Amino acid sequence: MGWFSRTRTPKDDWSAMSSVTRVEAKLQELGEITPARRAGLIYTDSAEITFLSNIETELKTVLHEGEGATKTAFSIKDDDRGMRWIILEDGNFNDLVSSVYTVGNAIDSNQGGDNLLAAVFEMYFTGEVDDRTFRSGLRTYWIYRYDRKAFYPFVPTGDKEGDRDRPTEARLGYDLRKHGLIVERSLTEWMGLWGIPF
Amino acid sequence: MRATTTRKFHKDRGLVARMYFTLFMLGVLYAIFTLFLIAAGTPLVLVAPIVGVMVVVQYYMSDRLILMSTGAKEVSAEQAPKLHLMVKTLADRYEMPMPKVAIIDTAVPNAFATGRNPKNALVAVTVGIQQRLNERELQAVIGHELAHVANRDMRILAIANFLVTLTSFLMTMLFWNMLFGGMGGRRNNGGGMMMVYLVTILVYFVGQLLVLALTRYREFGADHTGAEISGDPGALADALEKISGTVAGIPDQDLRKLQTANAFLIIPAALKGQGSMNLFSTHPPLQERVRRLRELEQRMQYGVR
Repeated sequence: MGWFSRTRTPKDDWSAMSSVTRVEAKLQELGEITPARRAGLIYTDSAEITFLSNIETELKTVLHEGEGATKTAFSIKDDDRGMRWIILEDGNFNDLVSSVYTVGNAIDSNQGGDNLLAAVFEMYFTGEVDDRTFRSGLRTYWIYRYDRKAFYPFVPTGDKEGDRDRPTEARLGYDLRKHGLIVERSLTEWMGLWGIPF
Repeated sequence: MRATTTRKFHKDRGLVARMYFTLFMLGVLYAIFTLFLIAAGTPLVLVAPIVGVMVVVQYYMSDRLILMSTGAKEVSAEQAPKLHLMVKTLADRYEMPMPKVAIIDTAVPNAFATGRNPKNALVAVTVGIQQRLNERELQAVIGHELAHVANRDMRILAIANFLVTLTSFLMTMLFWNMLFGGMGGRRNNGGGMMMVYLVTILVYFVGQLLVLALTRYREFGADHTGAEISGDPGALADALEKISGTVAGIPDQDLRKLQTANAFLIIPAALKGQGSMNLFSTHPPLQERVRRLRELEQRMQYGVR
């Protein structure tokens, strides 16, 4: 009753990231999505955080060395709003997700947690979801906010702030939650990221 | 364990304090205004009883007026058993008598309550809202509406309504009086009249602001009470987001702006002379209500107060 009736998924980066892998597998099986094999992490750079100022070498260590390394390819880009992006590419979606998690985790455990803003996955819709409202080949992003520990879909319709396909996002969010993705419940927190550099 | 602790009815003390303060300020404002009118020698205080009668009529007949003006049809327990049962269950939790239940035949999702006290309450929901919400959400919406009744918001709204209607009445009268009454009354008190007019305008705007603040507090208050009664604040948040077209809740903002300060919006909205508390009063903004409900949800879940 009331207070206890709703089951709660524990909110942490790992459960959230594993929910992506599960949902992606499910939806791909249904022929509904194709991941773009690309993802990005956005953060504020800071000279005072050694991990961030040596980001290239650090990423090489984290992603390419050691046993079980995913060998995910990466590049660094600065956007026009003064933020830095780590762009990851991997043909294996599970590896891609685990690389995103690893990089986020490495930044977090090296004093960069407050600088981390979000992780973004690019996804294409290839099929029709539920009520046939999604155009085939529609490019969407799944944004993960580190402060909220949850995902939400983002479907920009242009580069100008505010240009987004809200009805599609709302429906998509509902669908993704149904399939098990940890989706941000409060729509007012679904802030966009216009001009994603990948 | 938390499961064994009894649930208490918590009031949001800060909210209640702010509300009474606003109400007090409203009283002070109008007391000074009345004194001013008397001192200025305006016979316009006479308007008060007329407006008073209007408002009293509205107050006592609000349920019937609402039924007439919205096309809501009262339904019996046989006609709408599920809805009746839901309202009954909630009314029991509020320990109030069973209110009248009405349905409005429109696809627009909305709900409202009216009635000067719990004995004369009426809850109306549209066909649209019943279709769009699931049981948990509809329950939250009706709970919110009943909270307005339980909190006697209609009474406060009636007072506020009275004051604002009175002032706007005065304003219009003074305006026409100055335009056309100028010839006779110009002799010695033209300047005095202007003064009264300006003060009336000032009082009107300050009063309007206070009333807006008041309705805002009532709305938050009802959200809070409704959440306490149901123990599930998230349900109303979900419902609000769902019905508002959801779309409205998705922001224009870029995530990167989050690190700079959040702007506080002041949305001026005129108080409509309605005798009911509508689910979507334009004030306070939906986002703010949803945010507070989510916060409450978190606090309830983790038992922090």
